[in-house]
Amino acid sequence: MVETLLAIGIVASIFVGFNIGGSSTGIAWGPPVGAGIVKKTTAAALMTFFVFLGGWTVGRNVMDTLSEGIITIDLTLTAGVAVLFFIGLGILIANIFGVPVPTSMTTVGAIAGLGLATDTLNYATIAEIVSWWVVTPIIGFWIGGIIGRYIYPEVNRRVQIEKSDGPLLTLDRDGTLPKPTFGPNTTWAELGTTVVVLVIGCYMAFSAGASNVPNAAAPLVGGVGGLPDDTAIIIATLAIGLGGFTIARRTMESVGGELSDIPLLAALFVMLTASTITTLLSWIGIPISLVMATVMTIVGIGWGRATRPITFREAVTRDTGEPEIVPGAITAEEMEGKPAAPIGEEEPEEVLKAGDLFNPRAIMKYISMWIIGPSVSTILAYGFFILIPGVA
Amino acid sequence: MLSRILVPMDNSEHASHALEYALENHPEADVTVLNVVGVPSMMMGEAVGLSLENDLDEAAAEHAEPVFERAREIADERGREIDEIVGVGHPARNILDRAEDYDTIVLGAHGEDWKRATRRFLVGNITETVSKRAPVPVIVVH
Repeated sequence: MVETLLAIGIVASIFVGFNIGGSSTGIAWGPPVGAGIVKKTTAAALMTFFVFLGGWTVGRNVMDTLSEGIITIDLTLTAGVAVLFFIGLGILIANIFGVPVPTSMTTVGAIAGLGLATDTLNYATIAEIVSWWVVTPIIGFWIGGIIGRYIYPEVNRRVQIEKSDGPLLTLDRDGTLPKPTFGPNTTWAELGTTVVVLVIGCYMAFSAGASNVPNAAAPLVGGVGGLPDDTAIIIATLAIGLGGFTIARRTMESVGGELSDIPLLAALFVMLTASTITTLLSWIGIPISLVMATVMTIVGIGWGRATRPITFREAVTRDTGEPEIVPGAITAEEMEGKPAAPIGEEEPEEVLKAGDLFNPRAIMKYISMWIIGPSVSTILAYGFFILIPGVA
Repeated sequence: MLSRILVPMDNSEHASHALEYALENHPEADVTVLNVVGVPSMMMGEAVGLSLENDLDEAAAEHAEPVFERAREIADERGREIDEIVGVGHPARNILDRAEDYDTIVLGAHGEDWKRATRRFLVGNITETVSKRAPVPVIVVH
């Protein structure tokens, strides 16, 4: 019985890990792959290794929260498998309807639903987690805003990301020992940027492992007949790796393709910020969605850049809801035939228009997705564990 | 007599039909094609990409070019000329903000990717919003 249950759990865990591998590989490696700096297979291999590293180290803190922090009792294997099915259901909905469902938040929601149904919910822990969920997008947005407004334009002026034709390094076989030398068009700058891009991609893979391995692994480790932590982490990593080598080829183009509309330099800033937020929160045991941190940083950078030449106060207080009442708003018709502003001069028309790219209502809709996902999984899990009390 | 017609277009089939309809049924009218770029999306890639450009006008025009190219082809086939306007951000808002300047709006029943839940969720049903809120008559072409 326990063996059958465990087998079902492992299959569910592999399904969850496989899908996580697909989506997070797309986010972590989409930009470098899109820029032609890394091959898809290399990306998947690096992904698997650093996901494992993240899950094996920092991820354990998140696993503890999921398996014994949110509810006052240990998560049993039966309940864990049921929780995995709810995580899988969220992923299935995401796949079918194309809406992003944050896995880490669905997981917490499902476990919280179990806690509510069995009256074992640890309210202090869940309150702490939810507070972080509220604060994190704001932090991501502001850090992004500061980067977009002050740091990115400066760095962009100084740094040119290069990718020349031909191999980056070749082996010089003239000497007695083959030694690596630069490829035909490689420069020191190109070698430098390639290394930076690789390091940041690996860092993001690490943070994806820290935050996402526990979702697939934690439900399997609980109680009698559950797996040891290490085994569950390895299974989750292999499943994520499998997703990285297979379906990520597609997500690297869809998610990554969209990310590659953003200049690589900006994407690197986004990855660095989102990975740091995700790693730090995972370190203190808070389950967090890597996608959420990423999207909020992206929006922050764009917003910071779009509002740059107006003062900070105006950017925050002006009413963006009605473009007509923005002082000095200029419609597209009036702008036709305007002379191009000299480089370095303020371009007020352009900037006012750029502000329209960030409709506050669209941002609110984003945020609602992150409220709906975990809420629905909490309610569904609650209903399930109330109706079938034997499972918990 | 309709003399000024706004035709909001994207990459969809329906948008082409809307332009064809406007040109064929209103041979005397001035037809303006509006394309909105940097529409909200899952990762906000296009919107943020545009906001990081030094020259937004130029970048937006570049993004809109494929749609205008198709619009010009359709117009050429009928020996007509069209005006072109690029907007950024939210499609329905862009259309509604300009509606006052036209006698009517002709648009396709569905935009591109209308089946994709994320897009519909983020930008809503554009045709429906415009039909409901526009201050001028709206013609929906299938």
